[in-house]
Amino acid sequence: MLIDAHVRPALFEPICQDRNRFHNRCDAMHYHRMNPSGMELLKKQYLLADITGVFLLPSDCSAETGDSEISNDEIARIVALDPDLYYGFAAVDPRNKNAASELTRAFTDLRLRGLYINTARLHIYPGDARLRAMLDICREYGKPVIFHAGFSFEKDALAMYSRPIDFEPVIAQYEDINFCLTHMGWPWVQETAALLLKYPNAYANTALMNFDGPYQIYRKVFLEDMGELWVEHNLSDKILFGSGSPRIRPVRSRRGLDSLGFSEETRERIYYRNARRFLGAKEY
Amino acid sequence: MKYLLKEETVCADREFELIRITDKVRDFVRESGIVNGICFCITEHTTTGITVNESLPCVEKDILETMDRIIPENYPYHHNHYLDSYGTIGGNAPGHLKSLLTGNHCVFPVIDGELKLGHADDIYFCEYDGIKTRRYMIYIIGE
Repeated sequence: MLIDAHVRPALFEPICQDRNRFHNRCDAMHYHRMNPSGMELLKKQYLLADITGVFLLPSDCSAETGDSEISNDEIARIVALDPDLYYGFAAVDPRNKNAASELTRAFTDLRLRGLYINTARLHIYPGDARLRAMLDICREYGKPVIFHAGFSFEKDALAMYSRPIDFEPVIAQYEDINFCLTHMGWPWVQETAALLLKYPNAYANTALMNFDGPYQIYRKVFLEDMGELWVEHNLSDKILFGSGSPRIRPVRSRRGLDSLGFSEETRERIYYRNARRFLGAKEY
Repeated sequence: MKYLLKEETVCADREFELIRITDKVRDFVRESGIVNGICFCITEHTTTGITVNESLPCVEKDILETMDRIIPENYPYHHNHYLDSYGTIGGNAPGHLKSLLTGNHCVFPVIDGELKLGHADDIYFCEYDGIKTRRYMIYIIGE
């Protein structure tokens, strides 16, 4: 069993009908020379990796671009195709005047499961008051938050706005909200590890395909950049499996993690138990 | 002389799989009306192959397992790096290399309107980088 806590559905066929929108999305999110994937094909790929749950992360930088790349309605449309498989997250651009009402609509009307924010693309720091207003809404509705953390390949994204340690005041202030930092905050992996160690509401995901293949990058990050026992002894209940698809296929990402030699208990936590707990499940 | 092309779609159920396509090729030869000629079967992808072998589960397993031994998944291939032209990691180096071993096509005679194969021959589409929707061509030249 596996829950993939980091999938960008940019190439999901049901939301790729408008060619201009598709091309603008791929340009902004830096996906190239790839075609839309049908839902049945995706299901086969998930089955191959034993994936039973998928977090769908949208993309919204619309105060600057004029439109979201992946809208909340598009996420809800995909979730409706298979509500048992997909966990849809909302995105809003906090710089928009209607951001609060859109986030509320995403939680109430569209029933999305949490908020995804990429401060690197928004060019706002994690402590920005406009962002805190969104977190207040998450608190009101009891929703978890996924923050892009660290380096991003996306267009105009600046990692100076998403350095893991800069999320600390937010994580500390909103102790009743679960936060997940994506990509282990790479390249500031040790900052991420420190936050995971200290804050019960801090999580991180493993979507960090930037250098090498999964066997090499995971070894480098989890056994060299971090002490080789850090995950096993301290952080096994704080890390969520995330592939970062479509930058890599989930089955390959999983094989890389499988190769690290973590105990079965740790793998179970990383592969699905922590994702359930992050979402608020009482039993995980 | 007639030149006939058909493109077939195929999708594996596994990441690495040998998919028997003999009947597809044979049927197109019969439909073509060509009595004597030559038939090419060609994949359209660089991480797949076309090959001929005996359709026994044990042989199919040996082919795939031998490929895995020769071209292991976890080797630090040069292709395993971020490709800016795609925005992805080049994670399919083994697929590219395995495709070299089986090649991208096979060729068969068409005699008396039938595909001519050896008695143990079956034609396979070889998936080395699944799961994806794939295409291969059947091209017949003859009269």
